[in-house]
Amino acid sequence: MDFEKFEKKEYFVNRELSWLKFDERVLSEARDKNLPLFDRLKFLSITASNLDEFFMVRVASLKDQVHAGYHKTDIAGMTAKEQLKEISVRTHELVHVQYNTLNRSLIPALEKAGMHLVAAHENLTEAQSVFVDRYFEDNVYPVLTPMAMDSSRPFPLIRNKTLNIGALISKKEKSDKLSKKDKTGELLFATVQVPSVLPRVVQIPSKKDGDTTVILLEEIIERNIDKLFLSYDVICAHPYRIMRNADLTIDEDEAEDLLVEIQRQLKKRQWGEVIRLEVEDNMDERLLKILKTEFDIKEADVFEINGPLDLTMLMKVYGAEGFDAYKTPRYQPAPVPEFQNEKDIFQVIREGDVFLHHPYMSFDPVVNFVRQAAKDPDVLAIKQTLYRVSGNSPIIAALAQAAENGKQVSVLVELKARFDEENNIVWAKKLEKAGCHVIYGLVGLKTHSKITLVVRREETGIRRYVHLATGNYNDSTAKLYTDCGIFTCDERFGEDATAVFNMLSGYSEPKSWNKLIVAPIWMKDRFLSLIEREAENAKKGLPALIRAKMNSLCDPKIIAGLYYASSCGVQVELLVRGICCLKVGVPGISENIHVRSIVGEFLEHSRIFYFENGGNPEIYMGSADWMPRNLDRRVEIVFPVEDEKIKKELEHVLDLEFKDNVKAHILQPDGTYVKPDKRGKAQINSQMEFCIEATEKAALHKHEEKKSRVFIPAEPAEDIEE
Amino acid sequence: MAVMTFAAIDIGSYEVSMKIFEMSKRIGFRELNDVRYSLEIGKGVYSDGKIDSEMLNVLCEVLNDFKRLMQDFGVEEYRACGTSAFRELVNPLLIIEQIYQRTGMKIEILSSAEQHFLGYKSIAAIEKGFKKMIQKGTAILDVGGGSLQVSLFDKDALVTTQGLKMGSLRIRQRLQELEKTTIHYDKLVEEFIRNDLMSFQRLYLKDKDIRNVILMGDFITDMIFQEEMEDRIITREEFMKRYEDTVGKSVDLLAQEMEIDPEYASLVVPTMVVCRNFIDIFNAESLWAPGVSLLDGIAYDFAEKKKFLKSVHNFENDILVTSKNIAKRYSSSKSHIQGTMNLCLNIFDSMKKVHGMGARERLLLQIAALLHDCGKYISMEKGSECSYQIIMSTDIIGLSSMERQMIACAVRFNNSAFVYYDELYSMGIAIDRESYIKVVKMTAILRLANAMDRSHYQKVKGIKAVLKDRELQMIVDSAQDISLELGLLKDKEAFFEEVFGIRLVLRRKGRA
Repeated sequence: MDFEKFEKKEYFVNRELSWLKFDERVLSEARDKNLPLFDRLKFLSITASNLDEFFMVRVASLKDQVHAGYHKTDIAGMTAKEQLKEISVRTHELVHVQYNTLNRSLIPALEKAGMHLVAAHENLTEAQSVFVDRYFEDNVYPVLTPMAMDSSRPFPLIRNKTLNIGALISKKEKSDKLSKKDKTGELLFATVQVPSVLPRVVQIPSKKDGDTTVILLEEIIERNIDKLFLSYDVICAHPYRIMRNADLTIDEDEAEDLLVEIQRQLKKRQWGEVIRLEVEDNMDERLLKILKTEFDIKEADVFEINGPLDLTMLMKVYGAEGFDAYKTPRYQPAPVPEFQNEKDIFQVIREGDVFLHHPYMSFDPVVNFVRQAAKDPDVLAIKQTLYRVSGNSPIIAALAQAAENGKQVSVLVELKARFDEENNIVWAKKLEKAGCHVIYGLVGLKTHSKITLVVRREETGIRRYVHLATGNYNDSTAKLYTDCGIFTCDERFGEDATAVFNMLSGYSEPKSWNKLIVAPIWMKDRFLSLIEREAENAKKGLPALIRAKMNSLCDPKIIAGLYYASSCGVQVELLVRGICCLKVGVPGISENIHVRSIVGEFLEHSRIFYFENGGNPEIYMGSADWMPRNLDRRVEIVFPVEDEKIKKELEHVLDLEFKDNVKAHILQPDGTYVKPDKRGKAQINSQMEFCIEATEKAALHKHEEKKSRVFIPAEPAEDIEE
Repeated sequence: MAVMTFAAIDIGSYEVSMKIFEMSKRIGFRELNDVRYSLEIGKGVYSDGKIDSEMLNVLCEVLNDFKRLMQDFGVEEYRACGTSAFRELVNPLLIIEQIYQRTGMKIEILSSAEQHFLGYKSIAAIEKGFKKMIQKGTAILDVGGGSLQVSLFDKDALVTTQGLKMGSLRIRQRLQELEKTTIHYDKLVEEFIRNDLMSFQRLYLKDKDIRNVILMGDFITDMIFQEEMEDRIITREEFMKRYEDTVGKSVDLLAQEMEIDPEYASLVVPTMVVCRNFIDIFNAESLWAPGVSLLDGIAYDFAEKKKFLKSVHNFENDILVTSKNIAKRYSSSKSHIQGTMNLCLNIFDSMKKVHGMGARERLLLQIAALLHDCGKYISMEKGSECSYQIIMSTDIIGLSSMERQMIACAVRFNNSAFVYYDELYSMGIAIDRESYIKVVKMTAILRLANAMDRSHYQKVKGIKAVLKDRELQMIVDSAQDISLELGLLKDKEAFFEEVFGIRLVLRRKGRA
C-alpha cells in the first residue's frame, strides 16, 4: 500500500518539540496542587534530568547536523537549524516555568511543611554559619581543586554536567610598595568544581526543633570561597554548569572490537563541544563574558537561572526523612496469584501461560525464574538479553550462579544502552568471569528485545520456557515502570526464542518465525499490514479498531498507515506517553484518531497493540515503540498474546487507561495536551486502580489457597528486596 | 534411552550449518535448533586446494560455538560432515586434525555418493508420496556449492547416480574474472556447463523418461523461492518466471530484493542456470523441492540406526540396484553375478560366528559380488585390475569412499594374487587396518563363491556351513556335476584357512 498521500510534512509534528511537550506534562504534575508536596518535588526533579538528557542527546545531535552541513529536513519539514531555534525558545520557557514553580509554589509550601531550603548563605543564622563553616573545613575544603586562569595558565577543562563556581579575583593590595599596575586590580578568572563526591544537599541545624533545614553545597563553598584564594580578593563568585555534546556516534563498521571502542568513547565524551551554559541570573557581567567566550557559546544556549542550578538535586530533598505525610505512600507490588503456592515455577508455567503486570504485580517471579533455573538439575541452558540492569542485580547473580552450577548460560549484554555503557561493561566482565557466554549483540543494531529462554530436559524430552516482556530485566525499575510480561512454554515460542538467540549470536535468521515478530527486518511491514487489515475491514463495514500503547510514536510510515486507517473509518485510539509526531483531528486524515498520554506516579512503559480484526481481536505486546530506531535499527520482539484469559486482562488494562481522567492528557488538534473534563464523572486514576486490583487479587488468592487446607504451613520468609 | 538429542553438522562450500534434533520412538525426530553461518570455504579450496588460516580460525570458532549450542540441549551424539570443499582439500588429514585439536570435534568427509544418499534418505523419509513418485522415471538433483549430484530412478529403485563438478560456488569462482566481460552472465554460465551436461545426457539419459524432478537442498527453497513455496511444487512456468526475474540482476540487487546475505545472493544465478538446464534436458513439467538438507538426512540416518525410526524405504535395495546397473553397463553376466552373490550370502550367513562381520559388510560383499566381473569389459586379461579401477571411479550411492575402496580391493584380489597389508601401500592403496581385515575376509568368501560358479552354470544351489571344532564343513547343494568347481577350490581353501584359521571341508549334500 502506498501511503504517500498521507506523508505530507504538514501532517507531522517535529519529534523534539513533541518531546518538550512531554516534559511539560511532567512539569504539570509538579504544579498540580492536588499532589502531595514531595511528589511534586520529585516531578520537578524529573523534568530537570529529562531536560539534561534531552540536551546531551537530541540537541547535541542537531548541533552535529548543523556542523556537518546536513540540510535535510525532518518529517515536519524543519531543518536542524530551525529546530534548534525553536528548541531554544521553548526550553527557555520551560526552565522559566520550572523555577517559577519552585520559587513561588514549592519553596513556600516546603517552608510551611517545616522543610527550609536556605537559598543563599547570607541568610544563615549565627549558629548555622558556624556549622556550615565547620562543615566546609572538615569535609569540603580537602577535596576542592581551585583553578585560576592567567597568561601562563589556560582556561581549565570543565567537566560535562558538573556544577562549578566561577569567580573573579584580584591580587590583594599590600599596604607597602604598590606599583601602579597592581593598583588597577587586574581581574583573574578562577573556578572550582563543586565536588560530586559530596552530597549536594547538606542538612544543617534548624532554628526550630522538629524542622529540617538544608543548604546546597555550592552555597557553603561560596561562603568560604576566600579561603581558596588566600592572597586574592574575591570580587564575585557564582555557580555555573555546562552541558557537552555526549552523543556517541560510533562508526560501528570500523570498530574492530565494540567493547574497546565504547570504552574509548567514554573517555572522549567529556571533551565534547559545550552546548548549554547555565548560570545564576545575577551573575557578574564580566564573569559571564569570560565564560561565554571560553565556552564559545551563543546567547541562545545560555540559561540565566533564578534559583539553584541543576534541579535533579530535588530528588535528594524528596528523600529527606520525616515527610511521609507529604508523599504518596510507596506501593508494595502484590504477589502474582499463580505463584502464590509451593509449586515449582516450571510446573506453574506448564499449567498455563502466566501474565505479569509490573509494578502492580511483583517482579520476583522473573528473578525467581532465573534463580530456579540456576538451581534446577534438569535445566540445561539459560539465555537472556540484558539491556539495562540494576546495580547489584539479583538476575546477574543468578546467571553467574547458574554458570557455576554447570548450566550453559548465554547472555546478551547490550553495550550500546545509552548512558549505561560503563555499567554494562562491568556486568559483562563479571558474567564472563563466572563462565557465562557473553555476546555483545550485532554491529549497528541495538538489542532492545527482552527475552529469557530456559531449556529444560524433562521426561518427555526437551522443553523450552520463555519469558517475554516489554521492560528490561531490572528489578529496580520494575517497581517504577509499568511493564507487562508473560511466561510460556508453548513450543512455537520456544523455537522462536532459540532462533532469536541464534540471530543475536550472528547466525542466519530462521526461515520463518512461528509467533514472534522481530525487528529490524520483519516488524514494520507486519505492523503496516495489521493496520491495513483494519482499514480493509472498515471499508467492508466490519468492526475496525486499533488500540496501541507505547512510549513514543514517530515512525512516518506507521503514522501514514494510521492516517490511512483513520480515513477509511478505523477507530484509532492511542496511548502515547512521550513523543507523538502524529496530529489528531486533521480533516480527512486523522479525525478518527484519539491520542492520550498518561503521566503519573509510575512511568508508563509497556507496549501493547490491539487490532480488532473484524471481531476476532489480536493483541500483541513487546519491546518496540513505533519509532524508526525501534523498527529499523534495533533488534526488537513483539509477540502475540494467545491465551484468552490474558487477552481479557490486557483488554482490561487498555480499557482502564482509556478511561483514566486523572493522569491522562489528551492531545488536541492544535498540538496541545489538556486533561479531560472530570465534572460529573467518577475520578479514575488508572495506575491507582491497577494497584488496588492487584493487591485485592493477591489477597483473594491467598485466602482461597488457605481455606482449602486443614493445616496452614508456615510461610517462607519473604524475599528481601534487593 | 527414551529420548535423546543429536546434532548434525554440515561444513559445506559456502556455509557451515547445524541442526539439533530430539529423537524418541514416540515422536521420531523433531528439530530443536537450526543454525547456519555463511563461510565460503570452497572459495580457496577450489582454486588451490587449501583453506587459509583466517578461514580455518573462523571455522573453528563457529564449531566451538556449535558445541556450546549443543550443550544447550544436552546433545549426546553428533555427526559432523565435510562435503565437497573438504573432499578437494589437498591436506584433509591435517585440517581435520587441526580442527580436532582446536574444537575436539571429529570431522568426517563424506563422499559425493554418500552425501547424496543421506540427502536422498531425508526426502524418502519425509514424503510418503516419494514411493509412488519413483515408480515412474524420477530424477533427484542436488546442486551444492562445489558439486552437483544427480540420480535417476525408475520402477521404485535407483538407476544411476552421477556427480558433476558444477556447484554454484565453483562456477562463480571459475567465472569470476570473465563475469566482468559480459552482460549476459547467465549465458556464460550456460556455456560453461554445457559440455558436461551434454555428456551426461548422452550417456545416462538417452532412453529414460523422466517425469518428476526433485530438487534437493534448502538453498532453492529458502533463498530463491522463499514464501512462494507453500506446496513445495514449482511448476516450470513458475520457475522460468523466477529465472527471468533473477538472472539479469546484480548480486547487490538480488541481496536487497530477496533480503538475503550478498554471499548467498552471488550463488543465486549459477544455481538457477544449472537447475534450468537440467529442467530442459529432463523436459520436466514441474519440480518438487521438499526443502530438506543434508542435515535432515544425517539425522534420519542416525535415527534409523538407533531404531528411533522404521525405515520407510528399502535403501539397501537402492544400493544393490545401482550396483546391478553398473554391472549391466559393463556387460557382466547377470546370472553369474547373481549366482555368485547368492553363494556369497549363503557362506556369509552360515559362518557369522567365524567372520564376526555385520549387516553393513554383508551389503558390501553383495556389491563386491555384483561388480566382481565388470573389468572384463575393458580387458579380459587384466580383468581384476580394470574392475578395481572401474569401481574406484564410479559413484555408488550410499557408500563412503572407504567402503568403495574396500569393495574395489575385494574384487581385485578375487582374481589376482593377494597382497599383505604392508605391500598395499606400494600399490597406492590407502586403507586402514580394520578395513583391511574386512577386505581380506570378504575376499576369501568371494573367492570361494566365485569358484563355485566357475562354469557360470549356477550348478550350486546353496551352501550350508557347520562349524565343528576347527573345521568348517560346507555342505554344497547341487544336483549337477561340480567336479570342476570342487577341483578348482583347492587353492581357495588354503587362503580361506589362512584368513579364518579354520579348515574348510566341502561336502555334497546328501553324501557323507
